[in-house]
Amino acid sequence: MKTATIITVFAVVAVLGGIYAWTEYSRSHVRTADVKPVIVVDAQELLADFQEDEDKATTHYVGASEQVIQVNGRIREIMDEVDGKVNVVLATSDALAGVVCEFEAGSIPEEWRVGNPVQLKGICTGMLMDVVLVRCVAVE
Amino acid sequence: MNTIRIIFAAAAIVPLLAVAQERYATRTGHISFFSETPVENIEAHNRKVSSVFDATSGAVEYAVLIKAFEFEKALMQEHFNENYMESNTFPKASFKGTMTGVNNEDITKPGEHKVLVKGDLTIHGVTRAVEHAGTVSVGGDGVLKANSDFIVKPEDHDITIPGVVRKNIAETISVKVSMEYTKM
Repeated sequence: MKTATIITVFAVVAVLGGIYAWTEYSRSHVRTADVKPVIVVDAQELLADFQEDEDKATTHYVGASEQVIQVNGRIREIMDEVDGKVNVVLATSDALAGVVCEFEAGSIPEEWRVGNPVQLKGICTGMLMDVVLVRCVAVE
Repeated sequence: MNTIRIIFAAAAIVPLLAVAQERYATRTGHISFFSETPVENIEAHNRKVSSVFDATSGAVEYAVLIKAFEFEKALMQEHFNENYMESNTFPKASFKGTMTGVNNEDITKPGEHKVLVKGDLTIHGVTRAVEHAGTVSVGGDGVLKANSDFIVKPEDHDITIPGVVRKNIAETISVKVSMEYTKM
């Protein structure tokens, strides 16, 4: 009886462990739309912060682990779709640099046009020539 | 201000330089990598690569944000950033070198050219000299499409794979680079 109990406990633990491991392994990315942004910032301020002190801005906006930020700005460019992705560039006072925001194709509101003021959320990944956000969604 | 931004600024501020030199750039280049093992295949894509190519000198550079690599599974992406690439410490990877086999004259007419890319590849804070073949296609619209495939060994860049997942990650990672350059 005692042996049977031990085997049963081990089996239950093994099954539960397996279920947890598989669930964790298969876990999808967090949907940006479902997450409240930890920071709300204007595109101009975001770029300026990176240009002034990239390390400090990376710590703040990119964070130690993935975080969602909201960026408000005016559309400079909506690029053509490539591989199911569309990039929206938010304007700044720097003609050579902006905030590039990657959306899933078809997820950009139809009314968005160059020059429109917009609000969006995304995962900030840092700065190259521009500040880069991925997995972006419009804030309605 | 990093080197790529300095090149952009110089081309805009000094028009004479832009006339004398044929510079091309992209900020939406694509780099992907693929690890194949019997246990599992791992693939990631980054479509936010910034790159500049100077057809006059052959100089080419690109830079990529490690956290902009996207995996199908969230757990893989977390392990990649936190355990292997340590992207909080080493947030970027970069290449700086030269591309031979295509010149100012070649890019004036449509065609495909075999090229050789040589330079320094920095990943995980470790720089290695690399050399690999590629192609540059010149389209009628003036767009240059550059493609190259090569192999990276994690150990060459001091990327440690824990023994428990050693069989899940290939010893050699296939990397594909694809850029669509437009004239600056």
